[in-house]
Amino acid sequence: MPESVAHEAGSGVYRARGITKNYGPVAVLRGIDVTLEPGCVHTMMGENGAGKSTLFKVMAGLVRPNGGTLAIDGDAVSFAAPHEAHARGIYLVPQEPALMPELTVAETMFVGQLPTTTGLVKRIDWRAMRSRARAALDTLSLDIDVGALSRSLSIAQQQQIECAKALLRGCRVILFDEPTSPLTTHEVEHLFATMRHLRDEGYTLAFISHRMDEVLEISDHVSVLRDGMLVDSVARPQFDRTRLLSRMVGREMRTIPRRSWSCATDQPALVVKGLAHGSRFADVGFTLHRGEILGLAGLVGAGRTEIAETIFGLRARDSGSVTLAGEDISTLQTHAIIERGLVYAPEDRARHGAVLPMTIAQNVTSGLISRVRSRLGLMDHADEDRIGAETVRRYRVRCAGTDQTLRELSGGNQQKVVFGKWMGLSPSVAILDEPTRGVDVGAKDEIYALIEELAREGMAILVISSEMEELVRLCDRILSVYEGRIVAELSGEAITPERVGRSYLGHAEAQDGVEVAA
Amino acid sequence: MSATAAIPVRERAGAARRDPRALVLIGVTVATILLVGLVDHGFMSLQNLRFMVLNCVVLSLLALGQTLVIATRGIDLSVAPVLGLSAMVTGLMAQTGGLPLLGAFGLALAIGVILGTLNGLLVAKLAIPPIITTLGTYSLYSGLIFLYSDGTQVTSVPAAYAALGNGTVLGIVPIPVLVLGAVLAAIWFVIGHSRFGRAILAIGNNQAASYNAGIPVTATQVGAYAVCGVLAALAGLMFVSYTGSATVTTGTGDHMELQSIAVALIGGTAISGGRGPVIGSVLGALFLSVVLTALVFVHVPPIWYSAGEGLMILIAVTAGSRRTA
Amino acid sequence: MNDVAPALRNEVTARRGRTRRLPLGNWERALLALLLLLTAGLIAGVPGFYPGFAGFLALTENFLPFGFVALGLTTVILTGGIDLSVGAIAGLAAIVMASLWSGLHVSIWLSALIGLLAGGLLGLVNGLIITRLRTEPLIATLATSFIYGSVGVAIAGDNPPSGFPDAFNRVGTGAIGWLPVQIVLFAILAVLFSLLIGRSTFGRRVVMIGYNTDAARYSGVRVRQVLTLSYVISGTMAALAGIVLAAYYSAVRPDMGDLLLLSTITTVVLGGVSIFGGEGSIVGVVIAVLLLGMLRQGMLIAGFSDMVTTMLTGAILLGAIAVKNLFAGRGTGLSTLLGRFRRSGTAPAE
Repeated sequence: MPESVAHEAGSGVYRARGITKNYGPVAVLRGIDVTLEPGCVHTMMGENGAGKSTLFKVMAGLVRPNGGTLAIDGDAVSFAAPHEAHARGIYLVPQEPALMPELTVAETMFVGQLPTTTGLVKRIDWRAMRSRARAALDTLSLDIDVGALSRSLSIAQQQQIECAKALLRGCRVILFDEPTSPLTTHEVEHLFATMRHLRDEGYTLAFISHRMDEVLEISDHVSVLRDGMLVDSVARPQFDRTRLLSRMVGREMRTIPRRSWSCATDQPALVVKGLAHGSRFADVGFTLHRGEILGLAGLVGAGRTEIAETIFGLRARDSGSVTLAGEDISTLQTHAIIERGLVYAPEDRARHGAVLPMTIAQNVTSGLISRVRSRLGLMDHADEDRIGAETVRRYRVRCAGTDQTLRELSGGNQQKVVFGKWMGLSPSVAILDEPTRGVDVGAKDEIYALIEELAREGMAILVISSEMEELVRLCDRILSVYEGRIVAELSGEAITPERVGRSYLGHAEAQDGVEVAA
Repeated sequence: MSATAAIPVRERAGAARRDPRALVLIGVTVATILLVGLVDHGFMSLQNLRFMVLNCVVLSLLALGQTLVIATRGIDLSVAPVLGLSAMVTGLMAQTGGLPLLGAFGLALAIGVILGTLNGLLVAKLAIPPIITTLGTYSLYSGLIFLYSDGTQVTSVPAAYAALGNGTVLGIVPIPVLVLGAVLAAIWFVIGHSRFGRAILAIGNNQAASYNAGIPVTATQVGAYAVCGVLAALAGLMFVSYTGSATVTTGTGDHMELQSIAVALIGGTAISGGRGPVIGSVLGALFLSVVLTALVFVHVPPIWYSAGEGLMILIAVTAGSRRTA
Repeated sequence: MNDVAPALRNEVTARRGRTRRLPLGNWERALLALLLLLTAGLIAGVPGFYPGFAGFLALTENFLPFGFVALGLTTVILTGGIDLSVGAIAGLAAIVMASLWSGLHVSIWLSALIGLLAGGLLGLVNGLIITRLRTEPLIATLATSFIYGSVGVAIAGDNPPSGFPDAFNRVGTGAIGWLPVQIVLFAILAVLFSLLIGRSTFGRRVVMIGYNTDAARYSGVRVRQVLTLSYVISGTMAALAGIVLAAYYSAVRPDMGDLLLLSTITTVVLGGVSIFGGEGSIVGVVIAVLLLGMLRQGMLIAGFSDMVTTMLTGAILLGAIAVKNLFAGRGTGLSTLLGRFRRSGTAPAE
């Protein structure tokens, strides 16, 4: 254990009272009370947009609250910047850690606090830095070379480094913002081992997740957030899966409603055969039929997005064929694939799916700009407005006008615009990657209804999702992907959350020899 | 994903830690000297070697400052007029007012600090993109040279200056080379072993994370531009001492700002920031000087020199990206 | 479009909200006001600035070559790139033209056409280096500017040709009636570029790439093609500027484009084009060309040196961007506040 930890006096009871946070008129947190205890893993559950991340950011000094108080060991604190929170022993491990790609691991760990030699000329004490970094990593039993460049680290390793940074800064309260979603099962187990170790040392830990299994496995205390309010808070003995789930979504969720109808046909719309690329995925083959909603289940990082991007002509492939309505499209460029009626709505809306500073109308037409009527090579803006307006109406986008920029819309409305952008082309096949990411609960149902309506019109739809409920609710058939390979296929009555989960997690168990808690 | 996680990072470390660029530059520089020296022995003469080293001093100083600024993810186009202004002010005051050499150093320092700090404040405080900031101050500072010189120019400098620019210690080591050596050592220490230098690199790597970790981002940025200004001003003093002349277009006329960027790139600086190969920058300037002199010796017309420079930039940058990709 | 029942709200919002059909945004309007004020001030305050209408218009011949470069450069900057080689291309293209004319006795008009094509070709080389070798535009065009510069000097030799036919020189100095040929040319090109950026699918793709290259790629935009083409356009316009300059001076020099580079970047940025890409309009750039050009000419006629004008230009650039940033509230919470205020304040009235 690094020496800096030893001198920390307080026990690490971190209390938040009445925390509120607004972004303009939108209230993200509406008066949250929560207390983190030493020697405990306190988990925050809740759907996307429930306010969990914002709460952590407030508690770690990244975001200033509009109201409420924070107190560590009874002392009221407020932070202007994260490093002030560090000084009071509070550290947030972000979901995607801030990397210093060109610096060594050791320096990344000490950034902002590089040890210097005493004496006339204060120079960086590289030796002390390395040995202390090494010691911190050893505490967490991590085998990472402190002299390596940070850019060579995997996401899991970056998180572990962040964890070590917290120890180096003598922090007793460590908040983990949804650390597990980019990790493989094996890596999650490693992280949990680290967390248990720290908990046993008396650290105060808090954790965000919406994977029920994980939560039940690691937590000593669970709080549930919904729409910026704390709706439930229970200690380990009172854990109840159904109760937590229903608290999260705000209704009884004993069984997930499956739709009673299916309009899947047996006419193939998209046929993928033997698709492979390097170590990302191999031997991927499936047939998607008209009117069918096919799900791709699996862990984040299993290669589902890469498969979709390869089909869409965005990535190179080593082998395999993709046939759309009888035509081989595997050598075509993206624009040609779009013209032939296959579209892909990517998972990361802000980076890939939409151009946020552009208007609604411009975003709607951006998938196929030539659909706007042109005369003498000049686009008819009135026609573009008409297309935009039609989309806004059809997909019930709440906005002030079609010339509003997408940045000004909520996540759900942005997603509807992206939907409209692609569905307006009347494609025969649509690939939807995490269609409800960052979308609030109400808008989610609307999006599900839209997807179902499109299937009814005969569109073939491939849904990639990490939300089990979503897959179970939407899909006629589900393929499970594990480490770049399709490992199972489920259809009809076989589609239940347990069986879908087991279909790829079971594979993970078999491979890694890891026990997945029920 | 799990595949990459499983690979121990240990093995890759050695290769990644030592940037081969410096070694490559030394290698090709020596190779050039030997090759051309075989053809024409004059090329390897002590006199010519000294000339080539002397010739790269001014550009090296500029490139060092440029390297620091680029390391923060910035860029400084105004180094050329800062050089020009410093050369003009110190030169004119020496020529007409008999400014002592020490005073000239003080003056250059002041000019560099003030103009560099202004750049830094505009970038860090007003959030004007560096390329635009220094484009604007390029014009401003160029105008200052004009206003100050008022139609006159430096045609000769006192003996002390000439000694600074052309003298040698013990008849062997040119004084400018000593100056460059001292500056290089200082900057190398700053970037490699001081908190300020490491903060520069951290900001260039990830500005938001640096702020979160408690690094004084604004002060560090301003500091980097200030140091760059000082080095450019010092380069101006060295220039006027070496050549004994300065005109309104000194610095800006030869596009020294683009030259300094080119040298920094050849030296292994990444335009995306976060790397500060200061030794590489000086080696880059030396290599450039050697190659340009070599072209003279093998009778390539001087008009092709800048084409050679352009090619070197392209090779240096594409070779760099291949390796890191 | 006034009061509507809440139930129909979404029907209403499907229309355009703000009326932005006018080609001028806030920035352009401010620039235009500044231009008018400046011109009025110069006419009133500087004797000899207005020697009659034709003479006044002829002033523009001194600075419109910068405008040609600015139009092309705007296309590149809108993609989020930069072209540092415009000066070198201008010089090289003019020299290619002059050498063909004097050395091979090709007709001057055909030579000029070949010069333009050469500019496009040099731009193509830039584009290919940037898209195929994946080099930063700043670095790639810095390198090619050195190379093109050398080639220009090499072709020009010690005595670059001069004394072109009068018919050709009219491009630089002639007038159709009282209207200088350069103005006619610039006006036509400004309109074409305005349509290209604002109304063509190519322009839309340029803007998409500028705002978000990844999103453009995921939307099926052929990013490399569009980028390459934008550098070809920039190169061609730089070549045009070089040729017009040659006609203006009836001579060529390899370094005649040197002055163009930094001034045109200044012009484009002052015109409201974001150096990060995406944002900006041709109208703004055109106004900025006139603004900076009139300022320069006025100051020259008033007896100030070129350098003083340069200084003033730098100050205006910095001041303008600083003011813009303050209004956009970069780094503070001001922007969101102001933005919200404006949005709720403006009722849809079309």
